[in-house]
Amino acid sequence: MESNRELISTKSRSAFKQQALKDQITGILFTFPALLIIFVFGIFPIGYSIYMSLFNWQVTKGPYVGGQNYLLIFGSWSNLLVLLAGLGLFVLGFFVWRKAFQSLNNGSRLAHIAGALVLILGGVIFVTGWGLMYETGNKDFLNSLIVTLYYALGTVPAEIILGLVLAYILYQDIIGKEAFRMIYFLPYITPSISTAVVFQIIFSSRETSLANQLIGFFGIDPLRWRFEPKPVLNLLGFDVSGLAGGPSLALLTIIFFGIWSFVGYNTVIFLSGLGNIPKEIYEAAEMDGGSKWDRFWHITIPMISPVTFYLTLIGFIGTFKAFNHIYVMRTPSAQNTVVTTSLLVFDRFYKANQYSVATAQAIVLFVIILGLTLAQNKLMGERVFYG
Amino acid sequence: MDNLAALPTTKKTKKDIHVGRILGKAFLYLILLVGALIFIFPFFWMISNSLMTLGETITRRFLPDVPQWINYKEAWFQASFSKYFLNSVLITLGTLAGLLFTSILAGYAFGRIDFKGKNVIFALFLATMMIPESVTLIPNYLLIRGNVIPLPGGTWINTYWALTIPFMANAFSIFLLRQFFAQIPNELWDAARIDGCDHLRFLVQVVMPISKAPIMTVLLFGFTGAWNAFQWPLLVTTRDTWRPLMVGLHGFVQEAGPQTNLLMAGAVITIIPILVVYFLTQKQFTQGIATTGLKG
Repeated sequence: MESNRELISTKSRSAFKQQALKDQITGILFTFPALLIIFVFGIFPIGYSIYMSLFNWQVTKGPYVGGQNYLLIFGSWSNLLVLLAGLGLFVLGFFVWRKAFQSLNNGSRLAHIAGALVLILGGVIFVTGWGLMYETGNKDFLNSLIVTLYYALGTVPAEIILGLVLAYILYQDIIGKEAFRMIYFLPYITPSISTAVVFQIIFSSRETSLANQLIGFFGIDPLRWRFEPKPVLNLLGFDVSGLAGGPSLALLTIIFFGIWSFVGYNTVIFLSGLGNIPKEIYEAAEMDGGSKWDRFWHITIPMISPVTFYLTLIGFIGTFKAFNHIYVMRTPSAQNTVVTTSLLVFDRFYKANQYSVATAQAIVLFVIILGLTLAQNKLMGERVFYG
Repeated sequence: MDNLAALPTTKKTKKDIHVGRILGKAFLYLILLVGALIFIFPFFWMISNSLMTLGETITRRFLPDVPQWINYKEAWFQASFSKYFLNSVLITLGTLAGLLFTSILAGYAFGRIDFKGKNVIFALFLATMMIPESVTLIPNYLLIRGNVIPLPGGTWINTYWALTIPFMANAFSIFLLRQFFAQIPNELWDAARIDGCDHLRFLVQVVMPISKAPIMTVLLFGFTGAWNAFQWPLLVTTRDTWRPLMVGLHGFVQEAGPQTNLLMAGAVITIIPILVVYFLTQKQFTQGIATTGLKG
């Protein structure tokens, strides 16, 4: 009897072990096909890019040049150092400043001022570094970063806000909810190459183009839309020029196109997020007599914050990766005001055949995306409320 | 007395609230309708322009006098759209088959099997979602050209493989399926195991039939990704042999120039398959998004 029980337990133990081994083998086998493809086309190329960027590589591999391709971007290493030092101080100042906000000590005021000072100092040094880089480094690349930033700031917040508003309305008792949702999602799934064709016609520089007819209705003279390199502020009468004056009208047109394409995606994701908020919370708030607005502000916004965070992150990374939308909408006359970094990299590679210059630029872009992701994680991640 | 005086006012406010509600609701519908109009208008404009004569597109009418169906025929033949169309269909089908195969297997392994190295591999996969294509594009191009490692046939430029294999797996699809597979109750697996089921049979006979919604979601995203792909096909096709619709349309845009009506007809042709697939799958698709809890 006793030995019998022991037998069973050893038997089941070995069966357990056998299952674990089986699981190990099955797990590896099941992930292998995906791993192979993702490794070869997604992970290996990063290493190879870094390798390429260290050579003078134009169509075929040339001599080893070390950091030369990166120097072309920054002008000199000291420029980069100044820029990074400024950035570091800025981050440090930010943390001191915020720490001071959180603590209630007497010294907090002092820490506050110190933090603010470091923050300002960091900012000044950063801008100095940027200026130095702009003098001696690759202007095209630095310009493209500004354009990318404009594009991101022009699209992501608008897409988030519009997406949330539409989703929130759709979440009420609405007749035809499914139909609305379907329509909103349509631009997201249709190819941008095809929809761009329509946007090109709508925003053409002809006097009879739809966009011009529309603004003519409000008494505004026809504009050149996607052919217009002048900043929007300049067109509004402010005396600014160049990239410092904000996005050009051409870029704004592409921003419209981007928003139109991506709002639907945010709406659908927000809608599913709203569905995950427990109904009881709303009911409790209703009993307490909160107004609809209160409920939206104090329940929906915090409860939906993980989704907002996710969409902001995806959105920002997306704009730094964006290619098709901009590539098909750009015009030669819009010059560099619509060339984002991903387009610049493509041009360097595809048109100019400067492979190593392009890979070095792409890697700097990648590092910037990584940095932004980390910063966003740090900043927004703390405010996010995970039910 | 106080009570009596208070009564009518309460009634009035109630009525006010009622009117306010209706007005509020009307306002919401107004926003939704304006939104829908903005979203749908470019499609309407595309279709209506595709049926106009060239003269009509210039005078900017809203609708053609007589629908010019011949535009479609002309666009179809003038730009060898039939060839591109067939290419796109074959590329999309191949990519989807591969994508489903790799992501269902990997999603299952990540969601339901305990094995060493799982978390590391999964984190690695997710990290690839952050990598901009600009970084991977050039090495991948060299890889496909046969400059990095020797490929069967020398170079894969202008081949079917170049257009399908790199897209046969992605982190997003695996993540989506993993989320759903992980939620399947363990009791099902225990019961199946007692019946002598191994992982593969359990996956095919139990898991896949109850996972139609997330699989549809992966299919739809995979379909649009493959069908809409532009940058990569532009790079790796130098001849018409395997050139897909999007690259063809882009070339047509530059050739056709001011022939707006033909351009629009071409654009409509390229989006019809997407629309058909979307209308067919959209129910499971939205369900898929809701059930997999795509919330980051």
